[in-house]
Amino acid sequence: MHFRLLLMSCSFILSAHSQQNGAMTGYIKGNYTKLDTAITMHDGVKLYTVIYIPKDNNQKYPFLIERTPYSAGPYGKANYAASIGPNFQLVKEKYIFVIQDVRGRFMSEGRNLEVTPYIPNKGEKGADESSDTYETIDWLIKNIANNNGRAGIYGISYPGFYATAALPGAHPALKAVSPQAPVTDEFIGDDANHNGAFFLLDNFSFMNYFGKPVIGPVEDYGSEVFTTTYKDAYKFFLELGPLKNTQSSQYFNNKSYIWNEYLEHDTYDAYWKARNIRQHLKNINIPVMVVGGWFDAEDLFGALNTYKAIEKQSPKNNNKLVMGPWTHGAWASGNWSKFGSYDFGSNTSAYFQDSLQTNFFNYYLKDKGDFDAAEATVFETGTNQWKKYNTWPPVNVTMTDYFLNADNRLSLKKNTNGKSFDEYISDPQNPVPYTKGVYRNRNNEYMIEDQRFAVSRPDVVMYETDSLTNDLTLTGQITADLFVSTSGTDADFIVKLIDVLPSIETPNTKRPEGKSMGGFQRLVRAEVMRGKFRNSFEEPQAFKPNEISEVKFFLNDVSHTFKKGHRLMVQVQSSWFPLVDRNPQKFIRIPDAEEKDFKKANINIYHDTAHQSKLILPVLKK
Amino acid sequence: MRYLLTIILFITCVNNLQAQNTDSAWFVNNYTKMEKLIPMRDGVKLFTAIYIPKDVSEKHPILMTRTPYSCAPYGANNFLQIWKSYAFAYAKENYILVEQDVRGRYMSEGEFVDVRPFIKNKTGKQFDEASDTYDAIDWLVKNIAANNNKVGVFGISYPGFYSTEAALSGHPSLKAVSPQAPVTNWFIGDDFHHKGAFFAMDGFSFYPTFGKPHPKPTMDYGKGFTTPVKDNYKFYLQAGAVKNLARLIGDSIKFWHELYQHPNYDEWWKARDARVGLYNVKPAMLWVGGLFDAEDCWGAWNAYKACETQSPATNSKIVMGPWYHGQWTKEGEYLGNASFGSKTGEWYQQNIEVPFFNYHLKAKGDLSKLQEATIFFSGKNEWKTFGTWPPKDIETKDFYLSSGGRAVFKLLTPIAMTDTPKTLGDKINTIADKISTVFNPDKTSFNYTEYISDPAHPVPYTEDVHEQRTREYMTDDQRFAERRTDVITFKTDLLNEDVTLAGPVIADLKASISSTDADFVVKLIDVFPADFKYDSTYKTNGLNYPMGGYEMLVRGEILRGKFRNSFEVPEPFTPGKISAVKFELPDVAHTFKKGHAIMVQIQSSWFPLADRNPQKFIDIYKADDKDFQKANIRIYHDAVNQSKLIMPVLK
Repeated sequence: MHFRLLLMSCSFILSAHSQQNGAMTGYIKGNYTKLDTAITMHDGVKLYTVIYIPKDNNQKYPFLIERTPYSAGPYGKANYAASIGPNFQLVKEKYIFVIQDVRGRFMSEGRNLEVTPYIPNKGEKGADESSDTYETIDWLIKNIANNNGRAGIYGISYPGFYATAALPGAHPALKAVSPQAPVTDEFIGDDANHNGAFFLLDNFSFMNYFGKPVIGPVEDYGSEVFTTTYKDAYKFFLELGPLKNTQSSQYFNNKSYIWNEYLEHDTYDAYWKARNIRQHLKNINIPVMVVGGWFDAEDLFGALNTYKAIEKQSPKNNNKLVMGPWTHGAWASGNWSKFGSYDFGSNTSAYFQDSLQTNFFNYYLKDKGDFDAAEATVFETGTNQWKKYNTWPPVNVTMTDYFLNADNRLSLKKNTNGKSFDEYISDPQNPVPYTKGVYRNRNNEYMIEDQRFAVSRPDVVMYETDSLTNDLTLTGQITADLFVSTSGTDADFIVKLIDVLPSIETPNTKRPEGKSMGGFQRLVRAEVMRGKFRNSFEEPQAFKPNEISEVKFFLNDVSHTFKKGHRLMVQVQSSWFPLVDRNPQKFIRIPDAEEKDFKKANINIYHDTAHQSKLILPVLKK
Repeated sequence: MRYLLTIILFITCVNNLQAQNTDSAWFVNNYTKMEKLIPMRDGVKLFTAIYIPKDVSEKHPILMTRTPYSCAPYGANNFLQIWKSYAFAYAKENYILVEQDVRGRYMSEGEFVDVRPFIKNKTGKQFDEASDTYDAIDWLVKNIAANNNKVGVFGISYPGFYSTEAALSGHPSLKAVSPQAPVTNWFIGDDFHHKGAFFAMDGFSFYPTFGKPHPKPTMDYGKGFTTPVKDNYKFYLQAGAVKNLARLIGDSIKFWHELYQHPNYDEWWKARDARVGLYNVKPAMLWVGGLFDAEDCWGAWNAYKACETQSPATNSKIVMGPWYHGQWTKEGEYLGNASFGSKTGEWYQQNIEVPFFNYHLKAKGDLSKLQEATIFFSGKNEWKTFGTWPPKDIETKDFYLSSGGRAVFKLLTPIAMTDTPKTLGDKINTIADKISTVFNPDKTSFNYTEYISDPAHPVPYTEDVHEQRTREYMTDDQRFAERRTDVITFKTDLLNEDVTLAGPVIADLKASISSTDADFVVKLIDVFPADFKYDSTYKTNGLNYPMGGYEMLVRGEILRGKFRNSFEVPEPFTPGKISAVKFELPDVAHTFKKGHAIMVQIQSSWFPLADRNPQKFIDIYKADDKDFQKANIRIYHDAVNQSKLIMPVLK
């Protein structure tokens, strides 16, 4: 969702880009004519559309479209973008590139809605992103010379959502769609909430500009709603206090329509359900390539679950999945061979762009070359290699219980004791940090970070296997199945699956950051569950204090090998701050909670015979 | 203690500089080296390396260091690479430079005894380090040609201890001594214990090598024990009770086992306090130390103070700078993320130490400007001089810890506790409440801040993963600790004016614990403004650390709770009963600037810097893993039981 921000803040991506961009910018000017136009929708609303048309008119070209809420600029016929399209190779292949401001954003008319709900029966005046895309394609085919009658659409993050939204009721000319890190369900797993827990850190800064009310059309949204200068987000958000304080006159002050909606809709109600595009991905008959990153802090859920929804609801569709070792949008960067302590051993973004993305569009839009990608092309972390599967997850997977146990053990055997649990006190005044150190913005490496900073805390419990005697590969979704009690009436549960490197380094152990990797606790996958939603996202339920409840939820898929000599570790905690807002640990509408509502809670994690907490792991058979 | 390691690294790492080649040639061409076995009064011979200037135009003074870390390089043709150190200045002044292996170390004969006790009235062939120094000086002034019969001694860390002992030798030729970061008391404040808490990590990284037997003179003790686990928090946590550490290194390390036999401040330890002989000190003394010395900060302050009190007629001065252990031999511009704005080490070398020896040993220059105390104040980053230390013009102010994490210099109206902690639902708290009610029936009037100290999750002394104890922890950002549930924090409002502390800080806590023993770590912290940045002229470590809101450790100290009333006779806590826990933090010299805030953090572990307290009244050296238990700790701040710090505020 925040892909633009990411590009602006990650200088290393920018530098990789800028080299490429320098060459690309000159190429665009030399080979493309820019056209700025407004396309009128059936309800009279005009959408601002920028079109780059190849100067060479000896052949016909397909359209490659991106629809965006982040501006189609630079605006004006003479002002060329520094880069266009998904990658430079495709620019050189020559397409008619189309960038459109979506309804109600920047230079387009109409009213913008957060993740515009799809309207199944639109009637005369009804409009949504599907109809806007349909009508745009229709206009393009009829009005732009030298087109070959085919169109593709792609986009990363929010534009990924618009790519997905093109699928239901698609224009017959639409022949290839690539939703990349598509915003998909903002209550269950993307951006705004994960399992009903609010992602405070990202959204507070994002909605400060994105959610600003603007009477358009405008070329520039201007300054943010409010200004902050904090350097230490942990301290800032702790001192800010309850979520409601974000609406004070100093901050949002009820000015951001999206922020207002987020705070208003604290359960999986009609607002959120209407925004779940997955339910409409039925009877799709257009080649789709879904792309996502294992380390995408924003829309990992969206990528995996858009793919899965199409598989399930449109089983005959030509639907591919590409998952790489990427942060949000990193597949579009010039070079992605290393990340944090990971060294992938190859340029994974170049592989994607050259071997998958370019071929996908060339084949379906230009009948050029071949597109022989596997059903799922998935990077396996741990061994750091690309894998190809006929299904995702692979069929030869055994769902294996790993039991949380006494003495910090994670084992294949169940506990035989009638009484066995671990306890900790979760204190909203001292929440567990999601990352070590001091940061203003989200530390983009938190999804692969060494968790030793957390395991030293008394409010984090830990379970660990022995050293593995063989490699262990997980492919697919993880289930956390906890038996818990709390002295309060609500609590969050964060489950983290960790790859523990051997304590003792071998002489050839790589030290990617110059530091010892002995005992490094690399986060593989983590997820939060807001406890009151354990049985239903629609109908939250209080915990009965100190009574045992089952809390079962999914962690996003992984493709990871725990190598021989490593250990699996699970950590459980009840805060993840300020990534996630603090749970007052009292059953209450959290956006209404006041400071006094935030209470310490005594949390127990049970592992007795009757209440055996466990993780269910998708173990790949060799 | 580990200063030798620094020197070795220094020597092997720096090379290829043209100036040094020139200087090395100059040293080799202008000095001759001699190695002698100097006989002591009991016949034991001490190995001594003597570098003599070829210049015979005048007589030269002798400058000596006595060391347990070897006077290597051995061999008359192998020269100490002094040109790589500021001490090259002494060669340029044509000092006769002497290094001696102390009794029982390296190439010297005899038996080594750690921090060998001083014998007050020696008779006959009785010896100690003072008499060994006497005998060495006596031989040197009588046998080395062209000496001017004036001797100086200096040394850092363990050699600082030998410098203190040298000052007690009473040899008439000894004119000037500079003990620097002198090891002074290993139970109360230096190296291996602070206020009775065992600094197991420093000890365990030192003794397995240093403590090896020495059956005969040797140039090499061989390799010591190294831990394969490069994460010291994990290593020491997995090792468990400290008795397990003793098992890991076997029984060959004599001192390690002696230390385990003396859990309290008994006669054995008292005999090893370097201050016992500091009476009637004859030579001029220059005490030097680092405000942020993780090893012997306490020793520098307190050996100086003992000399002032016990030997008031002595010409004794002190210099304390913003330094890690031995950093005054370097540039000294920054330590960790804290920066000091100037080359404090070079300033000291050129303006204090070299002039001190030149004046006393060569009658050269003028020392009239050297004040009693030359102290660097971090925060404001300036040198100040004083006629006494602590300064006369300090006002002792109570610094009250209060509810809601507040701290103030004046007493607030006590706020009655309104929110009883019943919601915790924690077994320990419930028990603690019950006990507390028995001992403190008028419970509702109590006001406290509490935490649970869990030996299975001790508070780290530093945020990052390390193999070795860092020296930077003394100025580290404490935000990582503030975020924990087992660290409590008290903070002032932003200061309206500068507050300068000059002298020792007293922690005066009123605490109750749910068990029978606990450690108390008190950390005094300078909270930088949210937009703080160092001036662009400041040299920093270059790590671009976020300094806005930085919580700089200014001083931290630990007390093993059972020693709160006496280091000799430990006393258990009565569970739930409020006790006074009062102890002194080593002297502070720091200005909290206007716009900053003063913060105090309290916690009950500091791991693995200090070993874990099992939180059970027991001889911890004999404790088993099963003895370690959680404890609920309460720090009271109400009208009757007001925890506070007593601060030396400079007027």
